[in-house]
Amino acid sequence: MNYHHRRKLQKANLLLLLTATLLFGQATFAQDGKTVFQTNCASCHNPYKRATGPALFGAFDRWGGNEANMKAWIKNPTAYAEKDDYAKKLLNEYSPTVMTAFSNLSDAELAAVIKYIKELPPPPTDNAPTAGGTAAPAQDNTLLFGVLTLILAVIGLILLQVNANLKKLTDDKEGIDRGEPIPFYRNKTYLATAIIGLFVVGGYLTVQGAIGLGRNKNYQPEQPIYYSHKVHAGINQINCLYCHGGAQEGKHANIPSVNVCMNCHMQINEYAGKEKLYREDGSEVNGTAEIQKLYKYAGWDATARKYTGEGKPIEWIKIHNLPDHVYFNHSQHVKAGKVQCQTCHGEITNMGEVKQFAELSMGWCVNCHRETQVQFKENGFYSIYEKFHKDLKEGKLDSTKGITVEKIGGTECQKCHY
Amino acid sequence: MKRTSIITIFSVVAVMVSLIACSDVKRKPNRIYMPDMAYSRAYETYSVTQEQVDELAKQGIHYSNMPVAGTIARGEELPYHLKNDSAGYAQSATVKNPLPALTADELNEARRLFNINCAICHGDKLDGNGPLYKGGNGPYAAAPAQLVGNPKYMNMAEGTMFHSVTYGKNMMGSYASQLSRKQRWMIIHYIKTKQAGAGGASTAAADSAAKPAGATPVMK
Repeated sequence: MNYHHRRKLQKANLLLLLTATLLFGQATFAQDGKTVFQTNCASCHNPYKRATGPALFGAFDRWGGNEANMKAWIKNPTAYAEKDDYAKKLLNEYSPTVMTAFSNLSDAELAAVIKYIKELPPPPTDNAPTAGGTAAPAQDNTLLFGVLTLILAVIGLILLQVNANLKKLTDDKEGIDRGEPIPFYRNKTYLATAIIGLFVVGGYLTVQGAIGLGRNKNYQPEQPIYYSHKVHAGINQINCLYCHGGAQEGKHANIPSVNVCMNCHMQINEYAGKEKLYREDGSEVNGTAEIQKLYKYAGWDATARKYTGEGKPIEWIKIHNLPDHVYFNHSQHVKAGKVQCQTCHGEITNMGEVKQFAELSMGWCVNCHRETQVQFKENGFYSIYEKFHKDLKEGKLDSTKGITVEKIGGTECQKCHY
Repeated sequence: MKRTSIITIFSVVAVMVSLIACSDVKRKPNRIYMPDMAYSRAYETYSVTQEQVDELAKQGIHYSNMPVAGTIARGEELPYHLKNDSAGYAQSATVKNPLPALTADELNEARRLFNINCAICHGDKLDGNGPLYKGGNGPYAAAPAQLVGNPKYMNMAEGTMFHSVTYGKNMMGSYASQLSRKQRWMIIHYIKTKQAGAGGASTAAADSAAKPAGATPVMK
C-alpha cells in the first residue's frame, strides 16, 4: 500500500515537474519548499511537533486542501482571519501569539512551501530499536570469583583431612603408634596462623572503616528525577556552567532551578535519543516519563502549554558534602585557578547517575595543592605575587616546574580552616 | 568431626553473606563519627526550608536569603523597567546598550558567556545551528534564530534583543536568572560585533531599521 502510495506520489511529482517546466520554461528555477520552510517557518513550526505554532504535517488537509486560502493566511493572518472561521479558530487557540505576516514571500515561494507541507512524509513510527546501539551492562565477576575461591578452599581442607587419614592408615599398617592425631582446630600452627591472619585482616578493616567514617567516595543516591549528565553534558554538549553558573560566581556551584530546565524542556518533551538509559541496578529508564516528572515539579501543563502555578521545588539529594569546618569556594578554583570540573567530579559526561568521584578528604585536597601549578600568566588574580613573577622572569625559579599552590600558601591551615 | 562441619558451614555462610552484602552501588552515605563541627550552625545555601523561615518569623527574626528588594549589587546595571507584553516589546527597540564598547578582554569574556549560555542553540558561529538543533536532527524541534545571516536578527535593535533574553521569546526561555543584566548587555555587544563583522547593520543603523513595520502583529 505504502509502495503504491509512493508510486502515485512519484507520478504526481513527475507530472507537476512537467507542467512546471511547460509553464515557466527554463527562466524560473523551481522553488525549493524545504529551504523556504527552513528560513521562514522553522523557528516557530516543526513538521511533526508543536513548537510556538502548530505542527504542519497534515495542515494542507486541515485547510481543506485550499491552497489559495492558505496563501492568503500566510500573507496576512489577522486580516484573513476576519473572513474565515477555521483561521479564527486557529488564532483563538494560539492566542495571544499571532503568526507573523509573511507578505514578503512571493507566490512561487508560497506555492513551494505549501507543496512541501502537503508532501511531508508521515512521521516515522516510534523509534524502532536501533541495532547494535546497546551493549549489555558490564558484568561484575566478584561474586563468581569469591565462590570459586571458597570451593577451592573447601576442597583443599578436605584433601588435607584425607591426607591425614591416609597417613594414619599407613602408620597403622606399619605399626607405628603416633597417638591420637590432633584435629586441625587444635593444631597450634593452624591456630597461630589463623589468629595472625584475623589480626591483620581485622586490623586493616578496622583502620579502613575508621578512616572511611564520614567519607563518601562513590556515594550515588537515587535522585527524585533520573537526570542523566551523560545525555545533557555528554551527548548534547551542554556546558557545565549553563546550569551550574554559580561555580564561576561564588562559593557554591548552584543546583539549577526548575526554570533553567524549562528553558529547553518547554520544547523538548520526549527522550528520543538512540542510547538507552539504565539505572545503576540495571533497570531501564523511560526518559519521556522522567521529563513528565519535571513538568509536574515545574507546574507545567504540557497540553495547554501553560504554567498552572502549582509547581514545587525538586528536592535533589546533595552528594558532595564538606564539613562546616572547611571553607571551599568554587569560583576560586574554577575562575581564578582554572581547574576543570572533571578534575574533582570525574567523568561527569559519562555518568547516568552522578556519584562522588573524589574522596574529598584533607589528604586529597592537600595532595592536589602540592602538585598543581598555578596559572600565573595572564591571570589577574595572581598579579599581586610580584616576587614570584620577578623570580620567574629572572630565571631564579624553574618556569617548567612553575609555582605550585603550596608555594603561595595553599597548604596553610588558615587557608581553609578559620 | 561434628564440630568441624559446624565450623565449616558457619564460615561458608558468613563469607556468602558478606559477599552478597557488598553491593557496589552506594545509595546511602557513610556513618559519621563525632561530627562536632561538621554541620553548619548558620543557614547554608539550599538548607533553609519554609518551615524554618516560619519558625524564625515567630521569634521575630525575619530571615530572607534574597537580596533586599530594590537594591542593586555593585557593578550591576540599573534595572530594566519595560513590561513583558507586546507594548514593552515594541518599546524595547528604543532602549540603548548602557555599556560602552567592549575592550578585547571584555569581548573575550562576552564570547565565553555566549558560548556557554547561547551557543547550545544559536551555535558558536551564531548561525542558529547549535548542538541542540543540529540542522533539525537534534532534540530541539524549533529552529533557533540565525543571529548571523537572517536579516531580521541582523537588523534587530539591541534593546529588543535584551528584552527577549530577559523575558524569553517564543520557545526561548528567560535568561534573567542565569545572566546578570551586565552580562546580558555584554553578550548583546558581542552579537552585534559578530553581525557587523558579517556585513550586518551597525548598532546605530539598526535602531532605525529594526522598528517592526507599523501595525504588524507581533509574535510574543
